[in-house]
Amino acid sequence: MTHNDFRSFLSAIEASGDLCTINDEVDWDQELSGIGRLGCERNGPAFLFNNIKDYGSHMRIVANPIATWRRVAVALGQPADTPLRRLYQIYAEREDKLIPPVMVNDAPCKEVIVPGDKVDLFDLPVPMVHEGDGGRYLGTWDLVVSKDAKTDWVNWGTYRFMVHNERLLTGFPRPTSHLGRMLLEGYVPEGRPMPIAIVIGADLPSHIAAAATFRIAGNEADLAGGLGQRPVELIKCETSDLYVPASAEIVIEAEVYPDRIAQEGPYGEYPGYRSGEMGNAICARVTAITHRRDPILTLDTTGFMDSSATTTSISGAIAIKRRLEKHEIPVVDVYVPPEGGVHLTVVSVRRGGAAVAQKIVEVLTARRALMSKIIVVDEDVDVFNMAAVIHAFATKCHPDRGTHVTRYEGRANTLTPAYSAEERIARSGATVAFDSTWPPEWPPENTPVRATLDSMYSPAVQRRVNERWKSLGL
Amino acid sequence: MATEYEAFVRDRSHVLSGREVVLTLRDLSPGRKKYRGVNVRAIVSRPPRAGEPLLWIRSVVGVKDPDPCSVRIVEELPEAFMAEPYSDFFEAMEKAERR
Repeated sequence: MTHNDFRSFLSAIEASGDLCTINDEVDWDQELSGIGRLGCERNGPAFLFNNIKDYGSHMRIVANPIATWRRVAVALGQPADTPLRRLYQIYAEREDKLIPPVMVNDAPCKEVIVPGDKVDLFDLPVPMVHEGDGGRYLGTWDLVVSKDAKTDWVNWGTYRFMVHNERLLTGFPRPTSHLGRMLLEGYVPEGRPMPIAIVIGADLPSHIAAAATFRIAGNEADLAGGLGQRPVELIKCETSDLYVPASAEIVIEAEVYPDRIAQEGPYGEYPGYRSGEMGNAICARVTAITHRRDPILTLDTTGFMDSSATTTSISGAIAIKRRLEKHEIPVVDVYVPPEGGVHLTVVSVRRGGAAVAQKIVEVLTARRALMSKIIVVDEDVDVFNMAAVIHAFATKCHPDRGTHVTRYEGRANTLTPAYSAEERIARSGATVAFDSTWPPEWPPENTPVRATLDSMYSPAVQRRVNERWKSLGL
Repeated sequence: MATEYEAFVRDRSHVLSGREVVLTLRDLSPGRKKYRGVNVRAIVSRPPRAGEPLLWIRSVVGVKDPDPCSVRIVEELPEAFMAEPYSDFFEAMEKAERR
């Protein structure tokens, strides 16, 4: 069973040795985030900061809740040392068993209610995440609720939000994101403000669901229930008809303007760079803040190996696998290595070759093109073993015939550091599939044989070697 | 008024032209409200002029220009610019400049 709120999750990762508590005063202006950043880069623990400069100890910050597979395992209610392949299996199984949320009338997130005219976002210890960012980022590990203007579809997503002044936020849910589409198609044409709720410090399954790659018109609250194996409790917002996780630490209710913008970014993003994508964002006015007593603000020190890297690794890979299956690609496994900043995917197939690689790249770039590199390998390569993947890529991908490039306009990932400023503005880009499979037309008798113990030695020799190995104590 | 600001600009030569320009300034005064944003019509000078707040210019990827400027705020503007979501922010500022 998973933990029903953020605080019980913290107790669990403290027990597993995956939480470091810091009681000395730490500066919200870069120092705190710098500690979190180093934690990501060294596969370190999550951090709980109990004493924040200018804010004292009544408001706390937790950095990088699930930036390691150990903490993802705990978030899913599993032992911290659960193997990665098993975590993928658990996620896929639970994603198939959605559980709708339940509504409640009383909740911890309503312990303190600050009405709009009393709101001052600077009362929250919002960190300056990286030196040179456009401002202080409140939404780094958040869950943003929005509702479609014409249907019952409620979207949860993880989107960045920056403090502009006491009541104004700017944010960058991409225009191709579910929230972006809801805003542009449902509210902007009618000149209506779009209500949103930025939820911070909810139960972990809710955050994982929000960060997940999930189908259009799918309600992530149902997915959160499935992942947590219990219904998520929701409570109505104070100033809109949106519902938010009742156990949340902080809820910021706001309205996105249909006709106004303000500076947003730049920001050091999940691919591991600050790419200069600033200047095309949204702007929201806060209508109320509710929070628990002594609330905990969550922070993802965005960049290489952050919390979004692990969550997107699992949910993205499973979504890709399902999409490829739907298009009758003979897919076996998919892995999105977190080190790739959600730009690299490894796909193993039962039968490869140029046509399959070409079809994979076309299927995965048809709507949104977040991945720019896809390595296609034969099924005898374990996609979770990056050493084996690199070996296959380096040796089996033909430098000319093995690369399959597709280009697109209007749906590229504007956070891809390799793109020029002009490409980012036009949202134009490209994705390449590296076909690292043997051409199916090659006859088996002429196909190279891999020189590994499990491929180039008889079963009898393999058995003797393994016995010898064991007897040597190796 | 703050004594030190920073601003993110796409076209540095435009901002340093000596003409009135529209900018979003980030207040660098220490304390809880550090990095608060304010939209202004202002004149930027380099080298800095005595008696004016210091201004540091950053690029669109946040790289800080090592040479300081100063800024004279002519007028404080509304907190947001009139433009549809996802409009180019720098174009919205230029439009406000022409008014």
